Amino acid sequence: MAKDLDYEQSVPKTIKKSTGTKVFETVAYILLSLGAIICVLPFIIIVSGSFTDNSTILTQGYSLLPRDFTFSAYQTIFKSPKDILQAYKMTLYYTVVGTGLGLMMITLTGYVISRKEFKYRNTVSFLIYFTSIFGGGMIPWYLMYANVLGLKGSTLAIWFPALMSPFLVILMRTFIVGAVPDAITESAKIDGAGHFTIFFRIVLPVLKPGLATVGLFLALGYWNDWYRSSMFSTNSSTWQLQFYLYDLLNATTAMKQMASNVSMKTADLPTESVKLAMAVVATGPVLLFYPFVQRFFVSGITVGAVKG
Amino acid sequence: MKNKWISGVSALCLIMTLPFINWIKVVNLVALFSKIGVTKEMAGDLLTGYNLFNLLSFVQYSRQGVLGLFAMVLLILAVAAVYFNIAFIIRNVFGLGKGKGSLHLLAAGKLAFLFEFVTALATIIFVIFSNARFGMTGFLPSAVVYIELIVSAAAYIYIKVLEKKEREIYREHGLWVEFKRNWVLFVMLVPTFIYFMINNYLPMLGVYFAFTSFNFRDGLWSSPFTGFKNFEFLVKADLFRLTKNTVLYNLVFIGIGNILQIIFAILVSRVTVKWFKKTSQTLMFMPYFVSFVILKVIVYNVFEYQYGLINNIITGMGGERIDFYNNPAYWPLFITFFYLWKNIGYGMVVYLATIMGIDNEIYEAAKVDGAGDLQQIWYITLPHIKPTFIILLLYALGGIMKGQFELFYQLIGNNGVLFNATDIFDTYVYRITMTQPLSIGLGTAAGLYQSLFGFLIIVLVNYVVKKKNPEYALF
Repeated sequence: MAKDLDYEQSVPKTIKKSTGTKVFETVAYILLSLGAIICVLPFIIIVSGSFTDNSTILTQGYSLLPRDFTFSAYQTIFKSPKDILQAYKMTLYYTVVGTGLGLMMITLTGYVISRKEFKYRNTVSFLIYFTSIFGGGMIPWYLMYANVLGLKGSTLAIWFPALMSPFLVILMRTFIVGAVPDAITESAKIDGAGHFTIFFRIVLPVLKPGLATVGLFLALGYWNDWYRSSMFSTNSSTWQLQFYLYDLLNATTAMKQMASNVSMKTADLPTESVKLAMAVVATGPVLLFYPFVQRFFVSGITVGAVKG
Repeated sequence: MKNKWISGVSALCLIMTLPFINWIKVVNLVALFSKIGVTKEMAGDLLTGYNLFNLLSFVQYSRQGVLGLFAMVLLILAVAAVYFNIAFIIRNVFGLGKGKGSLHLLAAGKLAFLFEFVTALATIIFVIFSNARFGMTGFLPSAVVYIELIVSAAAYIYIKVLEKKEREIYREHGLWVEFKRNWVLFVMLVPTFIYFMINNYLPMLGVYFAFTSFNFRDGLWSSPFTGFKNFEFLVKADLFRLTKNTVLYNLVFIGIGNILQIIFAILVSRVTVKWFKKTSQTLMFMPYFVSFVILKVIVYNVFEYQYGLINNIITGMGGERIDFYNNPAYWPLFITFFYLWKNIGYGMVVYLATIMGIDNEIYEAAKVDGAGDLQQIWYITLPHIKPTFIILLLYALGGIMKGQFELFYQLIGNNGVLFNATDIFDTYVYRITMTQPLSIGLGTAAGLYQSLFGFLIIVLVNYVVKKKNPEYALF
């Protein structure tokens, strides 16, 4: 199911190319190259900046290729890695717990609303879908967690709200319907299998692409998330990695403005290149895994777009 | 249904629920008013009896915020009861909604009487609650409430009996039988139920804060109810600007986004070198995977005044530095650019999948007929991706009031200089949540307006689409 899109198929096979086609293809190559370059350029700036000596950045600004190549920014980070390691640890924790629990809940729900014998499957589906078209807004939502449940400062408030989403539930249902024909579950039922047996023995084993896709969407969401830390964290030891980075950027910008006013000592602040190195460290795992898992996202988007 | 007279009962219940009849009597006026601190001029606005529809005015004039949420729930229940009764009467009298005998009709009747019953019961609980709250008998339910309670309960039971008979004929079964048969499936849904209750459905009740003016002394639940004051303020202050920004940005995102996604998807599909196809697609999809915080780093490094890449280039060519972060005129362009940067790969994947599904023989036949590349695209590719385009467009239109919060907040942050051109509902509400606890009424009002307006647009779009072409309907 989660196969790479088959490129061969769409290409009109020609023996001889006309001049028009040649011109068209040239234009296509140029435009695509341009698009790709624009998409990658910012990453290059960050990476090369992180390898550039800070004083060079201060005197000559950012550039595309590292000038005065140095590892000093990374050395600074890993000399006292306590804070960033803590943020890494917390993000890993949120990602693992959230993805695990969320995947379980989404799969169970997807299974239930795909069962024909479940009379209320359409009602349940609609109630889940409805949350994506109407809501109470951010403040009631925030007050629910912070005041009613009293979860301010708790790590629960950071991973719980992102466990499920209507899009992923519907996506999972589509995967299940596509992977498990009704005839199989029916015959299992006749043989006396209960719903749990059917779910664990029959549905889960053939659902690997679906699980991988939905799980990766969840994991990406958890890894890149920052704003629940900004709303619910009371202690920097529970911060998500992205929020740690965000705070670092904001703090240095604010401090720099203050420093320029009252001539404060700015030596302790993370330098420009250190900030860039932090960004590389924070987003590294995502970009490292990306080429290998891209196909799951492609299949998820493709399947989800059919009827989302 | 043979028993048309039941709609008479329903009509009776309906009339009793309408705003002409008072459900709650205020007794011991003097003692009550002095107890809850109502002054003489405030008392002039107060009545001696209330129905569920003007009960909130009591809350407002007497400044008893603690009754507000309860009164609002009563109002919602009353409106729902009226609605379901009218629906039931119309269906019953005109014989609509036939399917499996009169089971659907009976279900509608059950709903109508159930809501009447719950409304009456909740009214009695409200009276008990508020009397206990003020430590005296200040309110009493009127006789109508008790009549309503008894009549609706009897009617409900009667319909239930009818339904049971009807079900035996049609071999249908109700919730309880369904539960006994498939209880495992219900158990599987328990975590999901808890999640959506906490995360989505219970917070909906919190829209009540939109009608209050929060202060720390009274707290969240008893701050005074102020009616539509927050909305009035919003209309005067920010509403137009926020709506304009949110909608315009989304329109631009949808328009340019789809066009570029289609163009690049077509280009990728027509390139013949396989590694180039793969690489260009991979690279253009990559920005989708980085967080918005990283985007903030990027934007900062590109547009920063002192060391930013652009200013670096400008000074390198002997020009003047540009202070981007203090000039709102640039930011709509930047925001649009980075939105496209981040999302082009995503939409490209959707369109590419559709293009891959087109039968190659159509292209072959066109080529035999002498069609060039552009003609093939115009007459074959574009018509084939039209359905995908329409579906994506409808989804996007449905979300036109939803802002790209993370994008805007990370690019603009708390930089007030740029707000005029870049403030959308989501950033506005977020700022209130985080920094202005006294304005949460205002923030909730803005959120509620955004939600309701967006919801209406979705319903409208869906209605029109369903009329024109049901295949594209959202629900």
